[in-house]
Amino acid sequence: MSLTSNDNKPVISKKIDRFFIGLASAFTFVKRFFQEVFKPPFEFREIMRQCYEIGYRSLPLISLTGFIVGIVFTNQSRPSLSEFGATSWLPALISIAVVRAMGPLVTALIAAGKVGSGIGAEIASMKVTEQIDAMEVSAINPFKFLVVTRTVATTLMIPVLVMYTDFVALIGSFLSVNSKELVSLSTFFVQVFEAISFLDVFSSIIKSLVFGFTIGIVGCYKGYNSSKGTEGVGKAANASVVMAMFLIFIEELLGLQIVNAIRNA
Amino acid sequence: MRNDNKKSVIVGIFVLIGIAILVAGIMTMGGQQKKFVKSISLNAVFDDVAGLQVGNNVWFSGVKIGTVRRVNFYGDSQVEIIMNVEEKVREFIRKDSKATIGSDGLIGNKIIVIYGGTTQAPSVENGDRLQAEMPLDTDRMMETLQENNLNLVTITENLKVLTSKIAEGQGIVGTVMTDSLLGENFKNTLKNLEIASVNSNKMIAEMNKFAQNLNQEGNLFNDLAKDKELYKTLQESVNELQATATNANKMTSDLSKVTEKLNEQDNTLGMMLNDPEFADRLKQTLIYADSSAMNLNKGLEALEYTWPFRRGFKRMERANEDN
Repeated sequence: MSLTSNDNKPVISKKIDRFFIGLASAFTFVKRFFQEVFKPPFEFREIMRQCYEIGYRSLPLISLTGFIVGIVFTNQSRPSLSEFGATSWLPALISIAVVRAMGPLVTALIAAGKVGSGIGAEIASMKVTEQIDAMEVSAINPFKFLVVTRTVATTLMIPVLVMYTDFVALIGSFLSVNSKELVSLSTFFVQVFEAISFLDVFSSIIKSLVFGFTIGIVGCYKGYNSSKGTEGVGKAANASVVMAMFLIFIEELLGLQIVNAIRNA
Repeated sequence: MRNDNKKSVIVGIFVLIGIAILVAGIMTMGGQQKKFVKSISLNAVFDDVAGLQVGNNVWFSGVKIGTVRRVNFYGDSQVEIIMNVEEKVREFIRKDSKATIGSDGLIGNKIIVIYGGTTQAPSVENGDRLQAEMPLDTDRMMETLQENNLNLVTITENLKVLTSKIAEGQGIVGTVMTDSLLGENFKNTLKNLEIASVNSNKMIAEMNKFAQNLNQEGNLFNDLAKDKELYKTLQESVNELQATATNANKMTSDLSKVTEKLNEQDNTLGMMLNDPEFADRLKQTLIYADSSAMNLNKGLEALEYTWPFRRGFKRMERANEDN
């Protein structure tokens, strides 16, 4: 049964109908992902390849971004703290900011830009050139091979990238703190780990898993449902980045509420 | 195929390093926050915990020894704090130790501070309740400060009145401050005082010298102060003097009694001394006795020439002549 109505008369209005149809289509897509992900064959080789492309190939960019974020955030926070003589709190502040929010968020946004657009464009171009149809004809499940592998790879790789980002951002912050406040590495890391809790670390990991899943599934969805023609490829790439980033921010907001609820429980 | 394996290995290393960072972070954090340390549970009941939260640190002698595990309401409106404290510091915390709520720095997190405790009391045990001491309440501090401020205003107002009076030359201080003649007198007084102090210095020096002389060996005062034998002798003399004085006292009292009796007429001597009639009679008696003695003398002289005694008297004369 097709989700697009053959009837020309809209149920509510054309635009609202389109929105709900898109929502239903996305829901079906996600549902299909969860149905396919636990079914063999698991396409480990393809998952590994995607992990390499998404995780390892993104590492330099993510590391550089994390490093810069660490330095910039430290330098920007210093004046406010020094106003009331609390620059010794910089490591604690940076640690909380990086582990709780900046690490996952910056990683996810960079990954959405680099990986999400790549996935969207790649799948959209396959769709445009009818490679997906060809796969179906040659008895290969294109959804499993293209969507499940990429989404699993992003879901697994983003948390790992977040660990790297956190680490590199803290190193960047340390270099800044060390140059201005002459704080030693051990003191810096003692203060860093004093400020955060297990809840912060685990919530950060879970958030990264959700962000990774969002980047993968949005990219795949936009690519898989792209319109025909080369224009559709560009649109899919663009839409996957925009949608993924938007959803990441929404998830960050919801995640914050949930974590705060758990923290205060 | 070889390329795929290479990619798999790189992904494996990449993931492993990521997990290693996570594990290292968790272990460091857990170690620092004493999450994996064997601990005991202690509790304390406060009226007000001033925003203390679960996970806040517990300090003992300025060292972090645990964290707050639970914050519960207790009784009517009190708050029970349950804290996890490292097992290894248990022996240093005594049953009579106290718990209060402090702050980690001026604007830092709230902390529980365990302090005090005497060595006479035994070490705390799992589940023990520490005596809670209420921390300094900032509101109360501000109230006191406000009271101080009001006092300060009054003081400054009084001071203002006082200084204006002084400036106008009123009162003793005002006169002192404004009167030039008084100033001159004051200067003179100071000069005199200086001279007096010089003189007193001299006098002290003289007295010092005198005291030194007194302290020299062979000096009576020095001996009195230092010679134990002399002291002993003096003591004995004083004792003897005291005994003599006691005897003299007794004798005086006896004499007093005698004189009292002599003043009375119920005894012979008193009568002789005080009774004029008796004195007359005694005088008469003496006169009679005198005349009797004369008569007796005459009788004895006559007896010398009387027969039986004449020879005896002559022998006595001869014996006197021989001697």
